[in-house]
Amino acid sequence: MEPISTEIVVLGAGPGGYAAAFYAADKGKKVTLVEQNPRLGGICLNVGCIPSKALLHAAAVLREAKQSVHRGIEFGQPKLDLDKLRVWKESILEKLGQGIAGLAKQRGVQVVHGRGHFEDSQTLRVETGEGQKFIRYDKAVIAVGSKPAMPSAFDLGNQRVMTSTEALELPDIPHDLLIVGGGYIGMELGTVYAALGSNVVVLEALPSILTGVDPDLVRPVTRAAQKAFKEIRVNTKVQKMATSGKQIKVTMEIDKQPREELYDRVLVSVGRVPNLADLGLENTKVIKDDKGFIQCNAQQQTDDPNIYAIGDANGGILLAHRASKEGRVAVEAMLGEQSAFENIVIPAVVYTDPEVAWCGLTETEAKAKNIEVKVAKFPWGASGRALTLDRTDGLTKLVIEPETERILGVGIAGVGAGDLISEGVLAVEMGATARDLAESVHPHPTLSETLMEAAESFYGTATHTFSRRNT
Amino acid sequence: MDVKLPQLAEGVEGGTVVTILVTEGQEIKKDQPIMELETQKAVGSIPAPSTGIVTKIHVKQGMEVSVGQLLISIESSGMQPPRAAESAQGAAHNARAAAEARTAPQQPVAAGRATEDYHFESKSGAPPPAPPSVRKIARELAIDLTRVKGSEAGGRINLTDVRAYIEGLQQMASHRPAPTSASQPALAEAIDFSKWGPIRREKMSPLRRTVSRRMAESWSTIPKINQFDNADITALLDLRKKHSAAYKKKGAHLTLTSFLLFVLGRALKKHPRANSSMDDSSLEIIYKDYCHIGVAVDTEGGLIVPILRNVDQKNLLQLSEELHAITEKTRQRKVSIEELQGGTFTISNQGSIGGSHFTPIIYAPQVAILGVGQGQAQPVAIDGKIAIRTILPLCLSYDHRVLDGADAVRFLKDVIAGIEGFDESDLKLNK
Repeated sequence: MEPISTEIVVLGAGPGGYAAAFYAADKGKKVTLVEQNPRLGGICLNVGCIPSKALLHAAAVLREAKQSVHRGIEFGQPKLDLDKLRVWKESILEKLGQGIAGLAKQRGVQVVHGRGHFEDSQTLRVETGEGQKFIRYDKAVIAVGSKPAMPSAFDLGNQRVMTSTEALELPDIPHDLLIVGGGYIGMELGTVYAALGSNVVVLEALPSILTGVDPDLVRPVTRAAQKAFKEIRVNTKVQKMATSGKQIKVTMEIDKQPREELYDRVLVSVGRVPNLADLGLENTKVIKDDKGFIQCNAQQQTDDPNIYAIGDANGGILLAHRASKEGRVAVEAMLGEQSAFENIVIPAVVYTDPEVAWCGLTETEAKAKNIEVKVAKFPWGASGRALTLDRTDGLTKLVIEPETERILGVGIAGVGAGDLISEGVLAVEMGATARDLAESVHPHPTLSETLMEAAESFYGTATHTFSRRNT
Repeated sequence: MDVKLPQLAEGVEGGTVVTILVTEGQEIKKDQPIMELETQKAVGSIPAPSTGIVTKIHVKQGMEVSVGQLLISIESSGMQPPRAAESAQGAAHNARAAAEARTAPQQPVAAGRATEDYHFESKSGAPPPAPPSVRKIARELAIDLTRVKGSEAGGRINLTDVRAYIEGLQQMASHRPAPTSASQPALAEAIDFSKWGPIRREKMSPLRRTVSRRMAESWSTIPKINQFDNADITALLDLRKKHSAAYKKKGAHLTLTSFLLFVLGRALKKHPRANSSMDDSSLEIIYKDYCHIGVAVDTEGGLIVPILRNVDQKNLLQLSEELHAITEKTRQRKVSIEELQGGTFTISNQGSIGGSHFTPIIYAPQVAILGVGQGQAQPVAIDGKIAIRTILPLCLSYDHRVLDGADAVRFLKDVIAGIEGFDESDLKLNK
C-alpha cells in the first residue's frame, strides 16, 4: 500500500497534539494527526480535566445546596441519578470531541485513527481498523501523554481498585472510599465522591496533602476537606491490598503500627507515567531520561532531529496548557522560527473546594532556593465579595522581589482561584511590579480586588486591611 | 565567547545568512570563515574572532541578521573566558578587528569609551523582566536581554530599550566612539516643515545611515586640516592621450585616477605617516607596510569606497585594469565586503562631475584623504609668460593628531611633483 506522505505527523490528539497540528496547518503545513482513541482530545478531554471538572461542578451544586440551609434556603435531600449525570458528562466530552474533529477537518488536517509505532526517523506505522498504514513524514511530534501509575502491589486485577480513569466513569458511589495519594488528582476526586455521599479517607505518605504548594494556600483546602471527608491521614503508607469479598482489605502503617481497614473502593492516585511503551522509539534516535520521560531541548526537539516531543511524554509538570504551549513552540522551531520554551509562566490549578492556584515563584520554592522575597497577603475575610459568596476561606498572596518590587509569583486559595490566577500570570509574564497591580483599578465588589489589595498591602495601604507598616 | 555580527564595511548594516560553514561542536581556528553573509552589496564571509569550539549557532540559513546580532558562541580553547561585561562589545569588536586585521594589528577597545557594561542580575534568579512580546522579538533577533537595561519600573524592558541597545551595539561595533547625530535628537525632527509648504519624508537607506553616521563621527572626533593646492596636469593629459589607445588595446582605461593611484602609492611609501592609523588607547601610531587605497565611488545607492590593494607595487596597466573592474563591480553592487576593507588612504575624485576645491572628510581610522576637483584650463604664469594650462584642484585633508602641517605639505608636494613630472617610462606597457 502506498504510504501516506506528510510534512508533519503528530502522534496523539490531546491538548498538546491537536494544538501543534492545528498551528502547523495554520502555518501552511501538510499535517497528519494520529490518535488511537476514536474521540480526539486526549487524556484532558476524555479522562482528565474535562470530565473531572464536570463532576466537580455537580459536587459544587450539591454542596452549595447543602450549605444554603443557614442562609434560609432549604432544598431537602438531593436525589441522585447517576446514569443521567454520566450522560450529561459524556455529552460534554462528545461535544468537545466533535468540535476538535471539526476544527481538524476545516484546517485540512488528516486524522488517522490507530496506534502509532515508529519504524524509523521518518516513518510511522499505524495500526488502524483497516490494517496497517505507513506515514512518511519530514517531522514528527510525539504527544502521547501519560496514564495513571498503578504500582504492581496494588494491581489486584479487581475493578474496585481504580485509577482516576475508572473513577471518572463513576461506576457507583462507594460507601467507603479510600484514596491513596493526596495530590491534586486524589483531592479533586475526593471532593467529587465526598459530595456524592461517599465516606472518603485520603492517605498521604508525606506530611501534607498537595505537597509542594505553599502551606498557607493548602490550609483552606485541608480545613474544608477535613469537614467534607471522613479523614485525611498524612505520614501514612499503604503496605498491602487484598480482595476481601466485595471489599478491599487495605493494610497501612500509621506511626509504625500496622492497621487493616475495609473499603468498598480504592482510588490509587500516586502519579502518572508516560505512554511510551511500544512506540518504536528504539528505531529512532530519541533518548529517554532517567525517569523514563523523553529528553528534549528548549525547542522541544528530541535527540532525533526529525522528532519533537511535547507534553506529559517529556515529564515535568503534567498540565494540558503546558503541552499546548510546547506544541506551538515545537511547530515554530520546525518552521525555523526563533522559539523556545524558556521562562514561560505555567499556572497550576487544583480544583478542590476551595480551589488553589499559583504561578511563577512560590514562597516554598523561594525558601528552598534561599531567594529573598517579600510576601504580600490579602485574606479573603476582608473581601466583601467573598462574604457575599459566603466563602471567606481564601487567601491571595504575591511573592515580590524586594529591590525591584517585581511580582515573581502569585498564589490564590479560594473559590474561583483558577480563573483569578490568569491576572497573576499576566503580571509575572509582563514583569509587573506590585505598584502596577496596586494602581490598576479592579471592579468592586469582586474577588479580583484581592490581587489589587494584596499589592496595596505591600505598601501598607490596603483599604480593607490595616497594617502598621507605614505608621 | 559570543560572536556577534561586526560592522563589516561602510554601508553594511546587516544581511542574510547564505551558508553556515561551521557546526556545533566543531573546532575552529581564528579567522576561519564561520558563515557567508549576503549584504545589499555582496556576499562575504565572517571570520572567527578566535580559536575554539563552536558551542552554539544562533542563526539559521536564510535569516536576516543585523550588526551586533549574536551569531555563534565559541568556547575558546586555552583562553580565559571573557569577562561577562566584555562580550557584548568585545565579540563585535574582536570580530571586526579580525576582519580589519590587514589594516591594523588588533586594536584594543579604547579605555574610557562609553560602553554599556550592563548585565542584569537578580538575587531571586529571575530572568530580566520583559513582556512576552518583547522577549519574542529579542529571541528572534538573538538579543540577550540580560544585557539590556530596562527603563521601566522594576527594570522592566520595553521595545524602546531593546532598540536603544541594538543601536548601542552598532555604535560599539564601529571603531570610533560616536557622539553622532543618532545620540542627539536631530533638529529636523523638531521642526514641522509642512507649515511652509508640502513636504515628503523618505526613510534613510541603511547605506545612507551608515555614511551619515561615519561622517558625523569622523567630523566630530578628528581634528583636521584641509591643505589646498593645485597640480598642472597638462603634460599628464598629453601623455594619457598618447598612450590611451595602446591601453585600450589591452582593454584598459587610462584615467586620471589611475595616474593618481600610481603617484600616491609611491608618495605614501615615502611618507608612511600619511598611510598610518592612530591607536588612541595605547597611544601608538600604527604604520602599515602595505598601501591599499580606497576610491570613492558614486553609486545609485550612495557612496561606496572599494579598496585597491598594494597600489605601490603595481604598474599603471594593472592599476587601470583593477580600478575599472572594481568601479564597475561597485556600481553594480557586486563588490564583496572584503573588497571594502583594509584601506589605508582614500581618493575622492569629483572631477568627472565637476567642481573645484572641496574638503573631503577623513575615512577613520585612516588619517588622510585626497580630494580631487575638476581639471580646468587656466592662464598660468610660466617663466614670466602667460600660458594656458590644465590645473587640477587638490585638497589633502588630514588628521592633525598624526600629521603635522609640514608633513602634510611635504607629502602633497611630492604627490604634485609626481603628477606634474610623470615619467613616461612608467607608462610603457611591456615593462
